[in-house]
Amino acid sequence: MEYDIIVGLEIHVQTKTESKMFCSCPTGYFQKEPNTHVCPVCLGLPGALPVPNRRAIELCILMGLATNCKINKNILFDRKHYFYPDLPKGYQISQYKDPICSNGKVTLPSEVEIEIERIHQEEDVAKSTHHKEASTNKEYSLIDYNKSGIPLIEIVTKPCIRSAKDAKDFATQIRQICRYLNISDADMEKGQMRCEPNISIQEKGKWKYEDGKILPIGDYKLNNKVEVKNIGSITAVEKSIEYEVKRLTEEIANGKEIIQQTRGWNADKGITEFQRSKETADDYRYMPEPDIPVIEISKEDIERVSKELVELPHEKIARYTKDYEISTYAAEVISSTKENATYFEGILSELKTSLDEKTAAKEAANWLMGTVYSLGKDVDIKDLALLIKKFKDGIITKGVAEELLKDCLGNGKDISDELEKFEGSSKESAGKLEDIVKEIIKNNPKAVADYKGGKTSTMGFLVGQVMQSTKGSANPNEAKNILEELLK
Amino acid sequence: MKIDVKHIADLSRITLTQEELDKFTPQMETILQSASVLKNVDTEGVAPMKKHIPFSEMRDDTPIPSLSQEEVLKNAKHTEKGFVKVYGKIFGDIEES
Repeated sequence: MEYDIIVGLEIHVQTKTESKMFCSCPTGYFQKEPNTHVCPVCLGLPGALPVPNRRAIELCILMGLATNCKINKNILFDRKHYFYPDLPKGYQISQYKDPICSNGKVTLPSEVEIEIERIHQEEDVAKSTHHKEASTNKEYSLIDYNKSGIPLIEIVTKPCIRSAKDAKDFATQIRQICRYLNISDADMEKGQMRCEPNISIQEKGKWKYEDGKILPIGDYKLNNKVEVKNIGSITAVEKSIEYEVKRLTEEIANGKEIIQQTRGWNADKGITEFQRSKETADDYRYMPEPDIPVIEISKEDIERVSKELVELPHEKIARYTKDYEISTYAAEVISSTKENATYFEGILSELKTSLDEKTAAKEAANWLMGTVYSLGKDVDIKDLALLIKKFKDGIITKGVAEELLKDCLGNGKDISDELEKFEGSSKESAGKLEDIVKEIIKNNPKAVADYKGGKTSTMGFLVGQVMQSTKGSANPNEAKNILEELLK
Repeated sequence: MKIDVKHIADLSRITLTQEELDKFTPQMETILQSASVLKNVDTEGVAPMKKHIPFSEMRDDTPIPSLSQEEVLKNAKHTEKGFVKVYGKIFGDIEES
């Protein structure tokens, strides 16, 4: 039996604000003492009133604009009730029927389009860790409310993802957008971004996708879906889906019925583990949040937020490949972070003063990916541009440039000083190089005769001889120039 | 007016005996009955009475100091190393202790 993979993704992102969603407690709780960023509001004490954070809502709108969503004119909050120690009020303030953003889409580098159902604003819950008391064997949880009330947005896709790779690419793109727009650092290890895929497999040709829903064809009964939690990295998004698809396929092959369930990803073992079944539909008893008024968003508000939009990675990739004709791979690597892209564009504008745009882009890309990234250090834009120009003028080789760079970075030397010294000494050695070339010509009469007889490929051999006798220190371009001059 | 008190109790993780269920069910049904007279009010063409505020009136994103850890934990029944301690199973019932 052949199956199609049906995946929908829920991504939670903690947005980057100074204070919490509904109170003024400071956010930066990472590695802080437990229960020190807490007040009556985020502790859910009776009578405490939630007051929404304007910046948090702006960041939610910004995410919606970056993913082509429609932005609602009115913001309404709802209470989602469930009873668990990490939720001190007994309900989470979230949004039910009217999310701030809806009906968006993003295009993956593979051109696959992912439809976004909604992006809504809510608040994070407390952090709980689970233990067992040694003396009594009783299970217990330790709760830290510092995380309670941190602004959280939830991005929900339609069940339109058809492979583990697309799910991974989508999560990657959301993380890039978050970082480019400074919406969040989106560090999954720190829990700033959490991905929860909903996965099912359906028999090929027995289902259809209509209005954002998966529907059975004829009397086919859809297989239940499985939700996977506890995914701590982008790689685990892909791996957990691949694992689940394999597991579900085997279960069905063994004649077992899939029950709707939540499973947890175990990164050490590379497997998902059963957590609980969801035989009954969740009953959250949503109701409108009476303590928060309706917030009106005007056209001017949206215009103001949209000024924060910058050129996003997929737009950069398109422009780099089209206008500069650099490879898709290079464009993807360069635009993977805003810092890399800004650096690339900085070098480009330096080089454009003396090179044409495409050559400049190609050189900038090559040097970035080949030299700068392998050094793993920050290289000043002007310094690198200077080295690239000297290289293009044939004054230094790439090898020499890299040596110079390493030397300058490691020993705090100035690149333009070192370049000047190098040029001085290479003028001196140019005379020596001519002597060496003459020696090579004398020692290789056959190759010289071949070259003069029109076999120009022999030049490569002769240059190679020069390089060998100088132990690689000569500039091959220079050696070639001298050879050509002497063999005219 | 019917109400499934056991379901509501389960959602709130409260365990009720059959006697308690028998006692509370008619009581809660009476409450619902009383409140349901509101359903008879004709609200045709009446906009929901909810206050609207412009975007600019929301709170500025400026943090202010929180309570001290001591104050936060003052009302907790059990604490451990600055955490609130709650007895119960991870996905099972968290029981009042």
